[in-house]
Amino acid sequence: MTRKGYMGKILMVDLSKGTIEEEVLPDSVYEKYLGGMGLGAYVLYNRIPKGADPLGPDNMLGFLPGLLTGTGSLFTGRWMVVGKSPLTGTWGDANCGGTFSPEIKRCGYDGIFVKGISPKPVYLYIDDRVKELRDAADVWGMDAVETEEYLEKNAKKTGKKPKVACIGPAGEKVSLISGISTNKGRMAARSGLGAVMGSKRLKAVVLSGNKRIEAYNKEEMKKISQVCDFWSRIQPPFVTGPMTAFVGALMRILPTVLTQDGLLYKIMLKKWGTVAMNQMSPEMGDSPIKNWKGSSKDWGFMKSYSSNPDVFTKCETVKFHCYSCPVGCGGICTMEGKYTHTHKPEYETVLSLGGLCMNDDVDAIFYLNEVLNRAGMDTISAGHAVAFAIECFEEGVITKNDTDGLELTWGNSDAIVKLIEKMVKREGFGHVLADGVKQAVVRIGRNSETYAVHAGGQEPAMHDSRNDPGFALHYSVEATPGRHTLGSHLYYEMYQLWKVVKGIPKLPPMYLKGSKYKNSEKQAKIGAANSRYMTLVNATGACLFGSFIGARRFRLFDWMNAATGWNLTPNQYMDLAGDIHTLKQAFNVKHGIEPMELKISDRALGRPVQSEGANKGRTIEIEEMMAHYWEEFGWDQATGKPGREAMDRITVGA
Amino acid sequence: MAYSITENCIGCTSCANLCPADAISGEKKKHHTIDSVYCIECGTCGRICPKNAVADPFGQVVKSEKRKYWKKPEFNHKKCSGCGICVDACPVGCIAFGQPDPKSKTAYPELINLNGCLSCGFCAGDCPVSAIVMAQPSDSQSEAA
Repeated sequence: MTRKGYMGKILMVDLSKGTIEEEVLPDSVYEKYLGGMGLGAYVLYNRIPKGADPLGPDNMLGFLPGLLTGTGSLFTGRWMVVGKSPLTGTWGDANCGGTFSPEIKRCGYDGIFVKGISPKPVYLYIDDRVKELRDAADVWGMDAVETEEYLEKNAKKTGKKPKVACIGPAGEKVSLISGISTNKGRMAARSGLGAVMGSKRLKAVVLSGNKRIEAYNKEEMKKISQVCDFWSRIQPPFVTGPMTAFVGALMRILPTVLTQDGLLYKIMLKKWGTVAMNQMSPEMGDSPIKNWKGSSKDWGFMKSYSSNPDVFTKCETVKFHCYSCPVGCGGICTMEGKYTHTHKPEYETVLSLGGLCMNDDVDAIFYLNEVLNRAGMDTISAGHAVAFAIECFEEGVITKNDTDGLELTWGNSDAIVKLIEKMVKREGFGHVLADGVKQAVVRIGRNSETYAVHAGGQEPAMHDSRNDPGFALHYSVEATPGRHTLGSHLYYEMYQLWKVVKGIPKLPPMYLKGSKYKNSEKQAKIGAANSRYMTLVNATGACLFGSFIGARRFRLFDWMNAATGWNLTPNQYMDLAGDIHTLKQAFNVKHGIEPMELKISDRALGRPVQSEGANKGRTIEIEEMMAHYWEEFGWDQATGKPGREAMDRITVGA
Repeated sequence: MAYSITENCIGCTSCANLCPADAISGEKKKHHTIDSVYCIECGTCGRICPKNAVADPFGQVVKSEKRKYWKKPEFNHKKCSGCGICVDACPVGCIAFGQPDPKSKTAYPELINLNGCLSCGFCAGDCPVSAIVMAQPSDSQSEAA
């Protein structure tokens, strides 16, 4: 144990050999790679052999808390799963909240890395004394909620309850869109890393540690946290749920935009959670509709009304806070039918199973949320796969002969429910879609590629890249493509990073909406700052939504200094983040990825342009932005591959 | 840094029985030892030792106290945001979220096991907004426990 926020050790598990070994890491590794995703990048870049099969024994899966997790900071209870993605072949990571993250540190580790393939299903159990692989025969086949309940009860009989991260049947069946679940329905969903866990026959990681997590200056940590807590408590009365649609419509109609203060978003998150955006986003053009072919006109107020934010809070019985979160955007909702309750569906889930499929049956969405959480399947990717299949059906590419008799028409919620039930079991036509849209194209053929929207195989999130060019950029240029949590123009507005970091673009209080679709060089600089900052957020275990409160209120840099005693400037941290970012890009290049091939599908770039709706006439000049963005990191402008100077800054060979 | 057991130890096993980290070993009626690798510095061993035979990490002897007088956490729900840091900090799982506030639907932490609380103060020490104070429970609370 150190008094610098980190524990100083990682755990290496080899499932093929059945060995578990601790490794002590020198301070220099943390000083360069921080923790969380940064530490994961350092280990995986160096230890996964070139060209390793993502579902083979050489791939590694890492579970990592953040540098700041447990140090007295707020909004820093998130954990990362990292590995080579079987969905994209690229660097893969998935982020999750809940209460699992501090437990990794309480067991004494800054990361738990697993390689090899177990000859039989096992789970990894760790407490203060014991580190062992246990037979998982009893839980193999159980869904994620059942697994967690069983292991909470049986893995440890005394003391405090253990924390569990596990896969459901989708991961067991190596679905490339499966994730890893914790807290009975919080998901590290993206990059298909549940499939990696399933391929290793590792059903769960069960932790019950009691080690103390120390910080260099705990009193200073508290002072900084109290500033953050003050701002997170500001909660004036706000409009009703359906009124959010009019706010969104106003944002669509007005030619000018106020640079958004993220405190407004925090107020909505605290009141409703991410479902606050269910009506606002479609109105303003932020939500892709009808498999990205439709527009705000297809998903107007009356269509989105059934999923207005108030619907979700009415059946919410208790707020769900991730560890160290003062906002609590999550919740537990009651429902009728087969399941009595579910984690409050997220905006991403509601829109991917709703507007993307033209489905306004909110009861079906609640039900599918729980089905997918229990199966351990990514709701965003599942929704995309269904929307893709519906369009294929509507266009005559597939027929009822292909779909096991399902009438896959837009908004047919009965068919959507049945199809997803088949997907999680890999039954019949469900198998065709159970590995995401890229694999579905391979299985269906017949020019179905036209209807598949993805970036390097990863289905993008419910944020339309034609509305915010930042999403287009980050979907396309990141080492883990297709992700909405790494940056956008709106995020940059909310971070207000220019108030603490020197030399990055400063936004005016108000701007013409059209201006953000021009000047790709400035957009690339904004994108590079976003990527660097989110690298720090993901290295520290921090929450994207916490960071939205603004860099002067959510004082990440100050927390890092107080936790570690390093005393670096924000710009120095941003430089470190740039190096971590390069390391992830180098990981992709090492594994034969051509960065330009990760560019998101044309439809999401406004090619062809939409003839109506909020994003009418917009095309994103992505290639120019990508070149400028790569230049910001010292990578080749044409290929996106890190240059010699950038590579020299990262440490290899560990 | 860890607690240690001095030569006054009589091997009564009280400390080993309570240690939440299983860091103490020794046979009954023989001198016990604390494994510094596992010690989490909760100080329970010192508070329970009838012979004042435990020293803190700075070498100061810890004075024992009757368990019914051990301080327990008191929660100020006006300051608390329900972030759960205290729930996680408790090494014996004695803190949990109670019933949610009907209006805000926020669940706040409560001491659910007065008897099990070791008075380590980790919850109060880790609370970022100082919403927890360690205080001696009232007589009625002690008796109820």
